Amino acid sequence: MKNNLKRVMGTIAIPLIAFMVCQILCTAEGVKYFANAFSWKVFVRASATVMLTTFALHINLNSGRFDFSLGAISLLSSVISAQICIAAGLPVWIMLLVSILAGFVLGVISGIVYVVLRLPAIIVSLGVTLFYEGFAYVITDGYGVSFVTNAGYTSVGTIPFYLAVIAVGLVLMIVIFDFSRFGYNHKALMYGQKISVNTGIKEIPNAILTYGIAGMFMGVVGFISATNNGTIQMSLNFGSISVMFTAFFPMFAGGFIGRFSNDKLGYLLGAVTSAFVSLMYSRLNVDSSIQQIVTALILVGFVIFLSNEYKITTFFTGHRAERRAA
Amino acid sequence: MKNFKKVAAVALSLSMAFSFAPCVSAAKTTKIGVLVSDTTSGEALGFRSYYEDYIEEQYDVTFIYSDQLEDAAGEKDAIDSMIAQNCKAIISFSSFDRPAQIEQCEEEGVYYAVATGTLTDEQYETYKEYEYYVGAIGPDNDTEFQTGYDMAKYYLDQGMTNFGIFTGAVPYYTEMHIYRVAGMLTAMVEAGGDDANYNGATDKDSIVAQIYADGCAISTGSIGTINLLSVVEGYTMDDAWYASCEAAVNVEGLEAFLAVGNGADFFAASKPDSVKIATVDSYVDSLGEAMSAGSVDYLAGKFNSSIGPIFIAVMRAIDGDPIRTDEGYALALGQGYWVATSYEDFQTYQSGDSVESPAYTKDILDQYLEADYATFAEFVGAYTYEDITSVE
Amino acid sequence: MKQEKALKAPSQAKVLMKRRILNLVPVIGLLVLIAVYIFVGYWEDIRFDKGIQAILNSSVVCAVVATGAIFIYTLGSFDISLGAATLVSAMIGAMAYNATGSIVVLMLVCVLVAVGIELISSLLAAFLDLPVFITTVAMMSILNAFALVLIQVNGTGDSISIPSEAVDPFDNMVFKLAVLILYLIFAVFMFNYTKIGRSQKFLGGNPLCAKLTGISMKKMAIVAFVLCGVGIGLGAILTVTYAPTVSRNTASGVGMNVILAIVFGGMPVSGGAKSKITAAVIGAISISVLDQIMSILQLGSGIGQMVKAVIFLAVVVLTSLGYRQKMLAR
Repeated sequence: MKNNLKRVMGTIAIPLIAFMVCQILCTAEGVKYFANAFSWKVFVRASATVMLTTFALHINLNSGRFDFSLGAISLLSSVISAQICIAAGLPVWIMLLVSILAGFVLGVISGIVYVVLRLPAIIVSLGVTLFYEGFAYVITDGYGVSFVTNAGYTSVGTIPFYLAVIAVGLVLMIVIFDFSRFGYNHKALMYGQKISVNTGIKEIPNAILTYGIAGMFMGVVGFISATNNGTIQMSLNFGSISVMFTAFFPMFAGGFIGRFSNDKLGYLLGAVTSAFVSLMYSRLNVDSSIQQIVTALILVGFVIFLSNEYKITTFFTGHRAERRAA
Repeated sequence: MKNFKKVAAVALSLSMAFSFAPCVSAAKTTKIGVLVSDTTSGEALGFRSYYEDYIEEQYDVTFIYSDQLEDAAGEKDAIDSMIAQNCKAIISFSSFDRPAQIEQCEEEGVYYAVATGTLTDEQYETYKEYEYYVGAIGPDNDTEFQTGYDMAKYYLDQGMTNFGIFTGAVPYYTEMHIYRVAGMLTAMVEAGGDDANYNGATDKDSIVAQIYADGCAISTGSIGTINLLSVVEGYTMDDAWYASCEAAVNVEGLEAFLAVGNGADFFAASKPDSVKIATVDSYVDSLGEAMSAGSVDYLAGKFNSSIGPIFIAVMRAIDGDPIRTDEGYALALGQGYWVATSYEDFQTYQSGDSVESPAYTKDILDQYLEADYATFAEFVGAYTYEDITSVE
Repeated sequence: MKQEKALKAPSQAKVLMKRRILNLVPVIGLLVLIAVYIFVGYWEDIRFDKGIQAILNSSVVCAVVATGAIFIYTLGSFDISLGAATLVSAMIGAMAYNATGSIVVLMLVCVLVAVGIELISSLLAAFLDLPVFITTVAMMSILNAFALVLIQVNGTGDSISIPSEAVDPFDNMVFKLAVLILYLIFAVFMFNYTKIGRSQKFLGGNPLCAKLTGISMKKMAIVAFVLCGVGIGLGAILTVTYAPTVSRNTASGVGMNVILAIVFGGMPVSGGAKSKITAAVIGAISISVLDQIMSILQLGSGIGQMVKAVIFLAVVVLTSLGYRQKMLAR
């Protein structure tokens, strides 16, 4: 019972604290935190996109593969799907499918380049990012894509849709990485590349498929972003990599939460925490430079906590012992 | 096998490198460098299309475009590179450090012109006598102010009292956007009744000063009887920022949302039907669709061929016949926007300024290849659609 | 046994020869790019004197900052905040000039601020056991936001400027090359002829073994960041003296260009014994030559970037032949 309570508390502590702090700040400023259905939509959408980006970053990073190209895949997959669907007059659900497929293919291409060139993933991702950004620019003649007037596309972003994305994404992630042969192999390679390869696990298909899955998640992120804004803005010269930075805090938070439950659920809750903070920024109209500083400090603060958890625990338990002795 | 792979890799990269050669043309025409800070905006792409797809076809000239420029050092690098490529002149759409660009071109003996912008009065006084400074043609601060003012007044005259503003690059101290916003606020102060003011300021100069004094952060609140209900600033473009955009156009009671730029891109998809969006932008297809669907209601847009006159000024300088004022100074001519308040207006303007048949055609431009300053200034000043189409 | 040795001897010589040739690949890559530049430039009748000036002007800041960054990369670490650190150092340096009117103060402040920033990053990473990359990601955000605050505090528009006359005496090739060469000599000395350089390569190659021999990762990380800070400071000086108007985007491309340059120059991102201090300069000049080729060819922003990506990967494949592994690289 005590263990279960500890697990539940450990799992929800971070988002709960974030919610309480944001709520207090909004109340102090006389602003209603969740003012209306619109606030909820903003919150759920941010949770969905950050969760999927975190998944995409994590599944390669846990194998030592740093991927700068996530933003570029998101950009290019949404450009491809929007161009095709607008030209052919296809419905929005086809656009979602094409986006997922395009993201998967772009991820697989990225993986194949990595495997063929045998270069460190970080280097390959630099080249791939430049290439995909350039390609997106070329196929839109630099103008990007705009469909602000197409209500069929822009009205898809509802709370139930985002919740469905979260649910499907989470289930898919758990099934693929916790309950499949591919997932077992992925874990084995993650913990011991050489031993796993020596035992016959095929690293190359595993790596390529992992890139494909990451691309698939980013395809959905691109779709959500495009349909929400009604436009796809172009990025050049690594302008797309900032998308990846949103996933660092949820990734660390997810790792921590994973100790009490499931790490994938942890990434979702990490994303939820980020979404609480984003909504607070939006509700309080926080200056963008202050946002940047606060977000960075939260990340550093949390990582300091994670890296020094045992020292902090010892410090506090030591004090308690001294108090008891006194 | 390994060796073969290596040889193949080397051969591939070499062939790739040398395969560029056929792309290169040996033709010798007049080269003009073009500095661009944002290669992805519709406006910049429209301008590029006019120069590359129309002007290059009509005149013996080649435009050498810079890559996307991020800072003053990038501008200097690009000018270096253009000079190395024998460009006789530079036309600049980039303004990180205009004085440095002018100085560099003067030193190198390359003509320099500002397109779609102007120098500050102080800068003009410094550089107006420079031999290689051709001048500037574009919206000056007064024009930018008037653009914002007219936009707000359009809705104030319809009896609207509840507004939102997208201030764009105001928090980054971008003058062009500061003056547009100051124009909007001035119109609101004038319509807000006797005691109306914006943070204590009541006229153009004091409002501009107040914006700077407030650290370029625009505050919401009442301006007399007019309510400024929401403000979005910057181009952070992350989740929180997009949420702010969405929230800003969904504020209860909002009637019109005035954007210094990108109104269609950031606000049109999430606005309720009752809210009117007005924006400064350009005559690109996506804006036409937005106006046709009622997502954008008012557009003050630069037209693609508006950069025709500065090209003529540059060509004349290269040909040894620069246009100077009567005192022998460089050009400083204002040029404004075309304003469309309906889709019909938009269609008229867009079809009247296509790549195939731009507003400033070769026939029109050629008339000013030998014109004196007064005639040229009059030609530039008559920039409205009606003015241009009335030129024979 | 003797026969075996006899068989091995030539193969070892072959290996050595192969290694030497592979070490030269980045230089050969640069020479090929220069050859292409000359070919294309000749075809287009460009002014090579100005072309060389353009190449040096656009590569020198990246070369200096990247040379400093090699110390961090050698440890197998990574700093993504280099551009933002250059920006803030240049901004505060410019503000210091405006306050004192002294160019010496500007230069000192640029270096001190840069070293201070890197020191904070390294101390955070070393004493709070933070992953270096995460520290630098956070530092990048904070520094970029801080730059906006500085612009606001300075209150003179969207940038911080100093009079161009103040920096004119330093905006020339002699000064730029002097800074680059002196810093390069210093870096080569530190890297190849001192215990610090050897320890860093050892740590990057085999951290566990290095630790067991008594080399402190924390101390070496701090030293690496401080040495890199000097490079950033010099980069900031070169930035301000070249373009004395510092805005929020100044040096924004430096961070990623440094990574491209280092890799282009043949340095393994995993660091270790195969790290080369000269990789930064070779890589920075290579990228600059490539950019000039792109500019001459006028391929357009999109296609130009795609071609650059392909050439980057192709060159890196060649330069990495010396350190590629059988297993997938991580």
